[in-house]
Amino acid sequence: MSMIMRQARVLDPQQQLDTIMDVHIADGKIQAMAADLHIADAQIIDAKGHILCPSFTDLLTYLRQPGNAQKGTIASETRAAASAGFSTLLASPDTQPASDSTAVLELVQDRAEQAGYCQILPVAALTQGLQSTHLSNMLGLNKAGAIAFSNAGYDFADNTVLVRCYEYAATYNLKIFVQARDAALSNGHMHDGILATQLGLNGIPVIAETLAIGRHLQIMQHTGVSCHFQQLSSAAGVAMVRQAKAQGLAISADVDLAHLCFTEQQIQGYASQYHVQPPLRHERDRQALLAGLADGTIDAIVSAHQPHEAAAKQAPFADTATGMAMYDIFIPLLLSLQDQADLSLMQLIAALGKQSAAIAGLEHMGLTIGAKANLCLIDPHKCWQLTAHSQQSHGANQCRNNSELKGRVVLTLRDGHITWQA
Amino acid sequence: MNLSPSAQLQLTETGELRHFLSIDGLPKALLERIIDTANSFVVVGNQEVKKVPLLRGKTVVNLFFENSTRTRSTFELAAKRLSADVLNLDINTSATSKGESLLDTLRNLRAMHSDMFVVRHNQSGAPHFIAEQVTPNVAIINAGDGRHAHPTQAMLDMLTIHRHKASFDQLKVAIVGDILHSRVARDQVHALTTLGCQDVRLIGPNTLLPTAISNMGVSIHCDLDTGLEDVDVIIMLRLQTERMDSAFLPSASEYYQAYGLTRERLSKAKPDAIVMHPGPINRGIEIESEVADGAHSLILNQVGYGIAIRMAVMSMAMSGQMQQRQVMEAGQ
Repeated sequence: MSMIMRQARVLDPQQQLDTIMDVHIADGKIQAMAADLHIADAQIIDAKGHILCPSFTDLLTYLRQPGNAQKGTIASETRAAASAGFSTLLASPDTQPASDSTAVLELVQDRAEQAGYCQILPVAALTQGLQSTHLSNMLGLNKAGAIAFSNAGYDFADNTVLVRCYEYAATYNLKIFVQARDAALSNGHMHDGILATQLGLNGIPVIAETLAIGRHLQIMQHTGVSCHFQQLSSAAGVAMVRQAKAQGLAISADVDLAHLCFTEQQIQGYASQYHVQPPLRHERDRQALLAGLADGTIDAIVSAHQPHEAAAKQAPFADTATGMAMYDIFIPLLLSLQDQADLSLMQLIAALGKQSAAIAGLEHMGLTIGAKANLCLIDPHKCWQLTAHSQQSHGANQCRNNSELKGRVVLTLRDGHITWQA
Repeated sequence: MNLSPSAQLQLTETGELRHFLSIDGLPKALLERIIDTANSFVVVGNQEVKKVPLLRGKTVVNLFFENSTRTRSTFELAAKRLSADVLNLDINTSATSKGESLLDTLRNLRAMHSDMFVVRHNQSGAPHFIAEQVTPNVAIINAGDGRHAHPTQAMLDMLTIHRHKASFDQLKVAIVGDILHSRVARDQVHALTTLGCQDVRLIGPNTLLPTAISNMGVSIHCDLDTGLEDVDVIIMLRLQTERMDSAFLPSASEYYQAYGLTRERLSKAKPDAIVMHPGPINRGIEIESEVADGAHSLILNQVGYGIAIRMAVMSMAMSGQMQQRQVMEAGQ
């Protein structure tokens, strides 16, 4: 296949490139980049007004298989991811059974390869069955492809287990992904504020996050393991990560897109689509997350895509499942963040490619001649509606059904192959 | 009109009540109308024939997902005095534990062509969920949901105050006890502030005060003696004894020491202060027997007013729902 993306706005944080040019792709690689390319037999794609950038790496997604195919399958959710511009996904170990065995890791990777939409890099369970009592076979899981270890959202009641997990991981230089939340203090349903009081829902205070961050940071320093903090939700949490980075600790952090876009106010009227963990917080927390992303405290944006069947969200608020299906609305939401808190499109794209790939330990060449063609072409002006027909994810828990959306991925390429075309 | 989502769900396009889920966002004029209507129903209970035909031919289902003999009885009596047919369903959570979701339970009930559901549920927002998603053409009356709202209880308290005190804007009102877990307290605050009350005080220890509640137009007091100074109305809340097991309080005796309403403490309030309690009362835990049974207490009057308030709300919501149905049918 030989194609030319004609007159695209090429945005590449790796090369600090923001130029309108033609890009020629053939044999799975970028062959040429220039103002005006003419190559015989190349398919021409009119990319005028479109953004061409490296395809995205998602550091947190829930693919639901094995165990929850009623919510989504690896095939359906990797396709949905490709439709949002992703080509590499780090799958959460929170499956049934948990990703604590090579069998599960292989199943997940095999299914993804069969489907062909995205490469999956498994994040394996840090403890057996995510039970926080016995260490998983980290070395073996690492050899089977696990690039990091996480206990998903499950806390540790016993600090000695957590210390040993980190000591053991540090022995082999294995990376830990942390969702920092204190289990008992997280036993609520929304941010602990005036709205929780008015709605009569149990609140989750900010200290549920900051206490856990402090604990993980201390154990991290004690053991020498390196940690990546996931899904920061609060201004105080961002400040702790900023301070730890200033002290020179080897940490990185991400935020999910929903927390950059929404606040607790969305829950008015018990809107269960916005029931997420960690909870959506106050506007000042959202602003701090945007500012943390802008100043580099937060390295990456994740989808935290969590598809659910319709029934999981159709109940009184506290009885509904947590999580939001994000891939179908990802690009419109992402583009809506441009120029908020001085965030440039270049920074947003870096947080989804260059920086997330670095955390995943991936080589990321960006858009340069000879690099593998892992690209995504976005029409930022395209207006469309999310309907049952246009939706890619199996998840019935989209927050913006039937509303007008702006911005869409036109084309996603993975190693030169088209994995999504609108 | 710029209405809150809660008010939008509860009112018809012309501002009539069609569901009664929470006081939050309801306009003052509507609350006053509920009080006036209830006032006119108070006499019905004293008549030889205790019935009015406002809900004749209508079916009211009492849907209680949580046990409450007292509340259910007053709703049943109110519906019967309005001449409705009443079906009582105690759906304890066993139906859900058998695997049937709330949604499925309600779909089954919808097939029975009821006109009104009176709902009590242990989850906050359950009546909202039912009104919004399940049965838009059935009037939903919230009989208490989680720790969110209990609007008929709050309105019967307003009726009590209205019948025994001057106008709301002159009053100092204290609400004492477990505000955090109280579904009534939130609606009492909404009702009192909407009706013009300038001085609402919430009194309790920090463990039983909800986050940021001071944003709701009330003042917070941790000391009962100073909090009660010069008040006209004292509303005591019930303390569930299981609060001690989940570390909200050390013991019932220490709670009584700090927040129990005794004769001595009552003397801090105005000489003609009234004492209210949603019941059932814990004598010797939140209130001294002599106060509960004393001259200031209106606790038993409240029960009678409860029936009148429920008659008022049920008749108003049914009429609003009927109007809405006609509008929708005309539109089709």
